[in-house]
Amino acid sequence: MRDSKIKIIASGGLVGILAAILVKLGNPANMGVCVACFFRDITGALGLHRASVVQYIRPEIPGFILGAFIMAKIKGEFKSRGGSAPILRFILAFFLMIGALVFLGCPLRMILRLANGDLNAIVGLLGYIVGIWIGTQFLKKGFTLGRSVKQPEIGGYTMPVFAIILIILLLSAPSFILFSEKGPGSMHAPVFISLGIGLLIGAVLQRTRLCTAGGIRDVILIRDFHLLSGLIGIFLFALLGNLIFNYNAFQIGFANQPIAHNDFVWNFLGMTLTGLCAVLLGGCPLRQTILAGEGDQDAAITILGLMAGAAFAHNFSLAASPKGVPYNGKIAVIIGLIIVVIIGFSKVLDFVRKENKGGVQIEA
Amino acid sequence: MKYFYCVATFHSTYHALQFEKVLKERGYEVKLMPVPRQVSSSCGTAGEFPCDKKEEILKICEEEGIIVDQVYKVEKKEKNNWLSKLVNFNMKI
Repeated sequence: MRDSKIKIIASGGLVGILAAILVKLGNPANMGVCVACFFRDITGALGLHRASVVQYIRPEIPGFILGAFIMAKIKGEFKSRGGSAPILRFILAFFLMIGALVFLGCPLRMILRLANGDLNAIVGLLGYIVGIWIGTQFLKKGFTLGRSVKQPEIGGYTMPVFAIILIILLLSAPSFILFSEKGPGSMHAPVFISLGIGLLIGAVLQRTRLCTAGGIRDVILIRDFHLLSGLIGIFLFALLGNLIFNYNAFQIGFANQPIAHNDFVWNFLGMTLTGLCAVLLGGCPLRQTILAGEGDQDAAITILGLMAGAAFAHNFSLAASPKGVPYNGKIAVIIGLIIVVIIGFSKVLDFVRKENKGGVQIEA
Repeated sequence: MKYFYCVATFHSTYHALQFEKVLKERGYEVKLMPVPRQVSSSCGTAGEFPCDKKEEILKICEEEGIIVDQVYKVEKKEKNNWLSKLVNFNMKI
């Protein structure tokens, strides 16, 4: 296990250092890689929301999908599978995105923000841990979205093909694709470098299964630190990368952090919602993106849910900005927490009923 | 020197937790762990147990309604670190 521990720390470290390099090369601050933000930017570029400052087809995302796809194909691990509660996954992913856009970043960006001195990310991290803890309570009581089963082969190619289409749209830039002229959406590293780094990260993470939700879940649920060590790798190497490449931008504190706000309550609750959704889904947005490349259609529907969430977040003014969290966003997080907890309970009750029917005793 | 251990995978985390609880109560040496990478690219929870107890353990699972997906025999590589090499070396002398 020592060997695999080194591998997962190294793969986390690779993500951390490459994220710092992407910022150096033009990506927005503390956003070398942010899966939620990047899907949000893609959603905007496709015109599904009209927030003009966050529209760009981020090549890192198709990179992740195709990197994982190619690696899975080479290793014979590409399997067309799915059918595990698709609509519930869509809803959970939808609210995962709402939580992330209220906090301003997916769990990966949370770690990257922390590695650049943004202490608001600590508040987010605490919320994330609480969300995952709540999720594990549901898992302990029997929550499951059900097993995935083999699907028609062609279905597994959904996200890899979507990734290729995104790259074509990015390179050909037809007039119906929207590109930000100012704001974070206008800031990006050179296309082919972003794509190349995306491919590399996708391929490596397909091997090591790095997952921000899984890391914390395993510690809480089974006291296993394997996946967590990957997260520590991300943090340490992003910190190192930031100090080397982006030293002038490094500042420790709560105020005036790039693309962040310091509303403690909503940083916390946004990430609680994200953590809870991620653990019920069985993986954070980064991990879902990798799985979608391996032919997992449950992950593919999760991505569609993330994109729908991003579209609504900006169309309904739910997403936060450095100015703070809008009223609608606060309401949306509360609604999200209620709905997700109801989903958790209902699936647990469902399970208990089934077990009772089978004549098996359930202890409280 | 090669070491092997067995792991059971499950469809739900709940069954993995039950696996550990029920078998520990009966004095078996079991441990939960992330599904070994060699076994699957998924990141669920698996239960490790001694291979020679496989039959008994599977029987108990069936009695207790714990649904096991698959059982795998995995080669343990960690024993190949320098410490075990040293021990092996000394043993040879």
